[in-house]
Amino acid sequence: MKKFSWTPYLLLLPSLLYLLVFFAYPMFESLRLAFQKDSAILSVRDEPSENAAQVGQVKLQTVVNVLDRQELEETLPNGRTRPIFWFQVEGEDIDGNTVTGWVNQKSIFIENRRTSETARVVAGEPTKEWTFDFVERMFNDYRFKRSLITTLILIVLILPLQFVLAIIMGLIIQSRIRGSNIFLYIYAIPLGISDLASGILWYSIFTQRGFLNSFLDTVGLIDKPYIFIQASNREWMIVAIVLAEVWRATSIVMVIVVSGLQAISRDYMEAGEVFGATLWQRIRYIILPLLKPSLQVALILRTILAFQVFAVVVAITGGDVLTVLANETYRWYDPARYNNANVAAVYALFIMVLSLGISLFYLRAVRSQEEASKNL
Amino acid sequence: MTTLETPMNSTTTRPSMEATAADRKRAKRRHSIRRGSIYVLACIIALWILLPIWLIGTMAFSTPEDVRDYPKQFAPIPASTETMDFFLNTDGIQRAARNSIVVAIITLILSTLLAIPAGYAIARYLFPGRDAIRLGILSVRAFPIVVLAVPLAITFIKWDMYDKVYSLALMHTALTLPTTILVVASVFAGVPYELEEAARIFGCTPAKAFWKVVLPLAMPGIAAAAILTFVLSWNEVFAAILLTLTNRTLPAQILYTLDKSGDPFKFAGGFFMLIPSLIFIFFIRRYLFNMYGQLNK
Repeated sequence: MKKFSWTPYLLLLPSLLYLLVFFAYPMFESLRLAFQKDSAILSVRDEPSENAAQVGQVKLQTVVNVLDRQELEETLPNGRTRPIFWFQVEGEDIDGNTVTGWVNQKSIFIENRRTSETARVVAGEPTKEWTFDFVERMFNDYRFKRSLITTLILIVLILPLQFVLAIIMGLIIQSRIRGSNIFLYIYAIPLGISDLASGILWYSIFTQRGFLNSFLDTVGLIDKPYIFIQASNREWMIVAIVLAEVWRATSIVMVIVVSGLQAISRDYMEAGEVFGATLWQRIRYIILPLLKPSLQVALILRTILAFQVFAVVVAITGGDVLTVLANETYRWYDPARYNNANVAAVYALFIMVLSLGISLFYLRAVRSQEEASKNL
Repeated sequence: MTTLETPMNSTTTRPSMEATAADRKRAKRRHSIRRGSIYVLACIIALWILLPIWLIGTMAFSTPEDVRDYPKQFAPIPASTETMDFFLNTDGIQRAARNSIVVAIITLILSTLLAIPAGYAIARYLFPGRDAIRLGILSVRAFPIVVLAVPLAITFIKWDMYDKVYSLALMHTALTLPTTILVVASVFAGVPYELEEAARIFGCTPAKAFWKVVLPLAMPGIAAAAILTFVLSWNEVFAAILLTLTNRTLPAQILYTLDKSGDPFKFAGGFFMLIPSLIFIFFIRRYLFNMYGQLNK
């Protein structure tokens, strides 16, 4: 073992600092966006003057009793003066105690400055307040449930298809048929394809005058185009999105599967063959168990990415009839639409909590399985 | 796993002393049937991957009239660049493409420069905390982009960095850096340590040994990692559409105008965005498993 050296830390430092700035700071910011709102708080003074000492702070909308009033004069920046009322009020402060002190007419709403017995606090110094308003707004948003359900449906449909296809692809490539390298490269092509491009591509197939209708028409199965993508046809929209995602994102699972397969010793496979296991038996009892660590990594990665599915959905459906969580994040953020970054941040955090929860669930399930097998 | 769909136990691979000529012949035939069925399946899957690309290419290189025509033709006859021309000359597209390229190049440079020392440290040094750092980088890579984009957009507005090409590049660097570090680390790990040692024995300083021996050997792999970074940035749309308004990148611009544009624009745009990814796979094919395979280690 070499003696301790600072070199690796120095080499890593720039990257770690960069990631800290761009991951830790935004995380902190997004919590602030999601759970803090602008508010104001009114300082109550012990004398009827702006410069007097503060005796307490009162929240907005607090109703206070007016005990006394004074008509004073205030000097404006241009040197002129104007009358201003100060009131001695009594009310509940931010900690729930009763506070008595002076506030001026600019901060409170009072029906009659000379006679009213009560007033309401309407202004104060700007401050931040912790709140669940934005969280509530997300949960009450009529698109929230729909987007969550669609996202989950997509995950449930896409992931199993992807994994079956990826394992088949991996087995084909590992079978070392002539030209299996060429197949590997063909299967890997979608690795570099964006979700938006993939969405447009499958839109060209499923749109009314698209390739699917053209094909069905050419072979004589239909005589007028069937409209797959329309508001009353959610099932077909889902089918199109699932196909686009399976088409695009199976490659990464395939690469992970192939590198997992490469790590499996050929001895196991040969043993299986020698003892006369059928292909299915070999897959079920040799390949899949040995491939499990790779599959778990791929599963976590794909699930997290699937929660963020966005451009495919917008490209195929327009994002209105059928919507997903990431699309709602954008809708709330978009200055041209809801223009509310706070609710957008709540949506984003919700996606993160779901992803984290699922990852932890997978990891736990794996661990408890391992423990169970240890106890056997 | 050279077999496929064999209902009977595969006695064929078991060496048999008293195998007759007929037996051997039958075994051979069964073997070639198996091979054949693997090929058929392999080709069907290849077709499933390639056909959509062919179709969108057909659209991109047909005339706009043919694009709108129904039923569509399945090959670009007569071929025409009219649709592509129309797309490329649509307002804002060339600017957006330029922005995309600039963002991707800044991202590539920043990300690679940061990743080379970090990757080298992970590949070559054993130090306390190495596994924790590796795991941290891995988990950051799986971090949802969506969570970062909203707060960063707000922060950039505050700092007067909103809607700037370079600020999007900073964000993309954050997104690609973990991947780039891991790929570069696996490339460095593939350079034999003995060569570096030899260089030091012959009087090189560690820095010189790295510069003269390790880096040149790792260069092709680093280049592949850089191309991957470029493509990741070129493809990224969520952060791009949140962080830009007038300085849209190509995917952001296309997504933003999607519901207002006709099919020729969409299809040509889809194909145009595809081009770097098709070139990409050609350049990185040797490093495929460096890039994605090491995820599960």
